[in-house]
Amino acid sequence: MTVLNELSNAMAAAVENVGASLVRVEGRKRMSATGVVWNSDGVIVTASHVVTRDEELHIGLPNGETVSASLVGRDPTTDVAVLRSNAKNLSVPNWASGEGLKVGHLVLALGRPGQNVLATLGVVSSIAEEWHTPAGGKIDYYLQTDVTMYPGFSGGPLVGVGGEIYGINSSTLLRGVSVTIPTTTIAPIVEALLKHGKLRRGYLGVGSQPVRLPAALEQQLGQETGLLLVAVEPDSPAEKGGLMLGDVIVALDGHPVRVPDELLAGLTGDKVGKDAKIKLVRGGQIHEVNVTVGERQ
Amino acid sequence: MGIAEAEFEAVGEIENGASDRLRQLNDEIAGAIDRAHQALVQITNGERSIGAGTIWHSEGLILTNAHVVRDETPNVTLNDGRSFPARVLYYNAELDLAALSIEASGLPTIEPGDSKHLKPGQWVMALGHPWGVRNAVSGGIVIGMGAEMPDIPFSSREWVVVSLHMRPGHSGGPLIDTTGRLIGINTMISGPDVGVAVPVHVVKKFLKDSMA
Repeated sequence: MTVLNELSNAMAAAVENVGASLVRVEGRKRMSATGVVWNSDGVIVTASHVVTRDEELHIGLPNGETVSASLVGRDPTTDVAVLRSNAKNLSVPNWASGEGLKVGHLVLALGRPGQNVLATLGVVSSIAEEWHTPAGGKIDYYLQTDVTMYPGFSGGPLVGVGGEIYGINSSTLLRGVSVTIPTTTIAPIVEALLKHGKLRRGYLGVGSQPVRLPAALEQQLGQETGLLLVAVEPDSPAEKGGLMLGDVIVALDGHPVRVPDELLAGLTGDKVGKDAKIKLVRGGQIHEVNVTVGERQ
Repeated sequence: MGIAEAEFEAVGEIENGASDRLRQLNDEIAGAIDRAHQALVQITNGERSIGAGTIWHSEGLILTNAHVVRDETPNVTLNDGRSFPARVLYYNAELDLAALSIEASGLPTIEPGDSKHLKPGQWVMALGHPWGVRNAVSGGIVIGMGAEMPDIPFSSREWVVVSLHMRPGHSGGPLIDTTGRLIGINTMISGPDVGVAVPVHVVKKFLKDSMA
């Protein structure tokens, strides 16, 4: 057999194998999208933005059946949603960590927006370090491909030529590029959502807006902006910790805070109940205060 | 020979093996395209290129899209540069297919492949003259096929939908598989990076029905 034929057959086989684990997700008015089987208990992972309602959800199975599903929970910051259905005997795919994945590798993006599995081919464009989505979600590593995200492909898997799943694709996390939420990011989110129905997020109880720092402070701190507190909720962790209106937050636990997203991103679930070191500017002087982080309800 | 040197050579060997296979892959693709190009024609009206066509039968039967030859007086230019006036033999606007006849014989054709069992993920190539660029090729994979394609117009009909750059000028040209067999006639673009082709089994039926 020729190399080209071998490659072509391998790709078609990967599509067929993984296709057995793909479901259609009916959770929004517009066109349906795609979900991937997480485990044999009927748990499905999909993109949060394709599930715009919390009830009346349905999933289309590979055998053509349509069954109802419930929303276990969602994390809009990473665009992950978890559904549960009563479907039995779903095929659990090979969720892979992405170790060994390199820029230039061939990858497939799959979708099941209708009854059939659809596929497209691309290459890995970029792999980089941990990043935060604009909504403040923490993603283990940056994974960008040049696959074309056709309508309804969101929530579908990024598949290696061996049929392994590196994560789920989202067309909305970053505008104009196809990024994949890696398996290693999805796993703890699914676990937390199955356990608590939501993700724990840290909470301070402040309203803020970015402001330019005076030139001297800008030089001393190495950042152009900080967060001016324009609201401090009564009895909030922030008030109890001594934060005041007019304070300008410049760092949280040693990480610079320049825009509201950086503060949100820093208030991860594991900080709940613990002391966070907040560096701020008050009356032109740099101060540091400890605030016991609360839980966002 | 030191250990380090031996290891270095061993690694070099693996890389050469892989790049040999990549080179072989390139040669295979180029070979399949080379053969298919012989059966790719250009359809013109006067000086104007209006699309592509695919030689179906060596005695001068050319397949193209109905929308390519609508209201036109088509001329067919072969890959060897010869040009012939063409007569529209059969025309079906609904299937978007037309068969032309030219006074030529001994023409190269492409062996028809199996378009009923195409699989999403398999490699395909589209030939044509996009934007008038002669004998251009684009490659990609089958997205899906059948009649129920979301977001594809005329979705009650049978299509091969492919993930590759299809552009005006590809219309009427051949869509081939990894062995160089004809699996469809390039027909239209549906959104960015989505090409749509009429499967070759539909073409066969069109010819059979037209001749009867």
